[in-house]
Amino acid sequence: MSTDSVAQSLRRARSGVGVAGAGRPPDARPKRVLSPRNVTMLALVLPSILLVLLLNAYPVLYAGVQSVRDGDLISAGDFVGLANYATVLSDPVFWQAARFTLVFTLVGVFGSWAMGMGLALLLRRRIPAGGVFKVLLLLPWVVPVVVSATSWNWLVATPQSPLPILAEALGFGRVLFLANPLLAQITVCVFKVWISFPFMMMMMGAALAAVDNNVYEAARVDGASGAQLLRTMTLPLTAKSTFISWILMTIFCVNDFPTVFLLTGGGPVNATQTLVVQAYRTVFLDFETGPGVAIAFLMTVVLVVISVVLYRSVKKVDIE
Amino acid sequence: MSMHASKAALSRRGFLGVAGGTAAVSALAACSGGGSGGGGGGGDTLKFWNMPWGGTEFNPRDKEITEAYEPGDGLPGAVYQEIQWANFTQTFSSAVASNTGPAVSSGGGTQAFLFESQGKIAYADDLLESWKSNGLYDDFLPGLIDAMKVEGGYAAVPYNLDMRVMWYNTTLLEQAGVEPPTDWPSYLEVSEALKGIGAYSFGVGAGSGSFTGSHIMTSFMINNGGGLFNADQEPECVTDANVEAMEFVLEMVAKGYVDPGSVTYTSDNVQSQWKDRRFAMGWDGAGLAANVGGEVAPELAVNSPLVGPHGDLGALYFPNNIMMYTNTPSQEGSEAFLTYYYQNMAPLWTEHTGIGLPPLRSIADTPEFQSDVNAVKIIEEWQPISRTWGAPGSDALFLGVTDVDGTPAMGTFTQQILSGAATAVDALTTLQQALEG
Repeated sequence: MSTDSVAQSLRRARSGVGVAGAGRPPDARPKRVLSPRNVTMLALVLPSILLVLLLNAYPVLYAGVQSVRDGDLISAGDFVGLANYATVLSDPVFWQAARFTLVFTLVGVFGSWAMGMGLALLLRRRIPAGGVFKVLLLLPWVVPVVVSATSWNWLVATPQSPLPILAEALGFGRVLFLANPLLAQITVCVFKVWISFPFMMMMMGAALAAVDNNVYEAARVDGASGAQLLRTMTLPLTAKSTFISWILMTIFCVNDFPTVFLLTGGGPVNATQTLVVQAYRTVFLDFETGPGVAIAFLMTVVLVVISVVLYRSVKKVDIE
Repeated sequence: MSMHASKAALSRRGFLGVAGGTAAVSALAACSGGGSGGGGGGGDTLKFWNMPWGGTEFNPRDKEITEAYEPGDGLPGAVYQEIQWANFTQTFSSAVASNTGPAVSSGGGTQAFLFESQGKIAYADDLLESWKSNGLYDDFLPGLIDAMKVEGGYAAVPYNLDMRVMWYNTTLLEQAGVEPPTDWPSYLEVSEALKGIGAYSFGVGAGSGSFTGSHIMTSFMINNGGGLFNADQEPECVTDANVEAMEFVLEMVAKGYVDPGSVTYTSDNVQSQWKDRRFAMGWDGAGLAANVGGEVAPELAVNSPLVGPHGDLGALYFPNNIMMYTNTPSQEGSEAFLTYYYQNMAPLWTEHTGIGLPPLRSIADTPEFQSDVNAVKIIEEWQPISRTWGAPGSDALFLGVTDVDGTPAMGTFTQQILSGAATAVDALTTLQQALEG
């Protein structure tokens, strides 16, 4: 029997050493890397590797080349080094877009998660026509965003739209949901939460379904309150799904083009412009592929960092 | 055991041999391709790409005209393709870059000048020269052909006109007890009266996908003798004329004559405001009344151009055009097709398919076109005084105008003015810096 503590065992497991001991010593004989079998295997997977490289790596590499050139949509242009990155990073509009992207992502991720989690918890209870509710709640996610954006535009765009009329009736005066920069930012964020919460609801619903009800019953027997159950049972037990849903939603939010573009186009005066919208406008409206692709690459770097941090949290949850 | 291994190895080798052979054959087949990829039409036909310029009946009618083309001996026939406005820049750019694009096309108003700078455009000089003998050349409305001239030659041929004009609702003006304005001071007076009945007098949109707002800002500059480009075709935004024009618009904003929502109004929102009779006056294209439709459409009328504070007349317009590409199965064929097309395209206007205004006097003079009072007024009063993005420096279009045509810099500038978020000088200075950058 091993005398290691659990933590020591986990560390050993992570480093590839069995809990019970160091295991069999590695084979002393030198392995032939290019054995006929390995060559055959390599040859068999080579077409797939080439396909993946062509479909994924080539566009990324080509985009990388574009980001260090001053080309346009037709010609590659001349090599300009990191000038495009310097241009982008010194542009106040980029930083304004970066700030709003951050806000948009934070609100999108945590707003939709909170709403999705709340509804998932609610739908665990037996309620009349629960299935119908589930379907209805999925609609914002299912309906094409073009349709949703058009509907929201109809709801808020003009003073004669339903929500401004309601706001005026409630004594808030004339509320310009899309023309006022702050209100436009809030509207876009709320819209994002609205179209995203069903995804979170499904993710968290699935996570909650995997939790054994006996655990809750035992906790209730021990006198745990609802808040305690949520804090000490529900959240830890669904942590892995939560982190994964955060990773996915972060990627969805940062890369979300239609939500912003269809509702406000990034206005008024760039107030709701996110980085992906700025990248699009730079490439396809200004015809400056270099700076536009540079913005996209900077976004990718940030996304990778965030994803790695969150993914490590998932692994940590796994181990614990 | 060794026998098994040997068989397996042989089997693998055999499999790899077959796989390699198949791949090689596929690669060779792909490489051969029959040479049909390029040529703006694939050898014996030329591709004509046209946009949905009008209603649902436009493209089918346009296709009929195209397919009725009977080429002369040895010249290619024409195949028709409708290209949607959505992402049209990407559509054309990728096709032209890969030499799979059209031989002849319409497109964005400044598209020809972008592709001309890339060496992808076949100049229309010979075509236009040939039209001097068949009457087509002299049939164009004044100034249109000159707008297509760049240093190397004529980049395109004028096709349909997209105008920006002043509209008003006759019923609302009557209700307010005022006559349509004739100049900037009277515009302010009429606006005040319209404000009294809860209507806006500067109806326009500058939201997602709506570039009309930026067009109208430029129109006001041109109406004051200004504009965005100097005679050297360089951006020159911060001029006295432009500052005065933008200060006038800012005054309209400050006095509440501009709908505060205009900043983010889409085209649909703008039409909705006209339908709701919230817009009593405003600025839009020639098709506004048709787009608004319903019982409000008959109430809408085109006003005469306003006289600026220094006696200037002027507005912005877009001579949309048809261009020929160097990637064609036959340049002679492209020119022959366009000659046929221009001689037979009149039904697009006389049958009211919804396309913009005609470039040819002969079409504008037809009884069918003359039955549209607003369209006639635009041709008679607005077209002669309208200028391109190149104003005040020139009447021709050039590559530099792609920096202002529907670009983020112009959108931001317009939103700054319409929201009153910046002074005229600051907004114009920011625009100048963006255009220089």
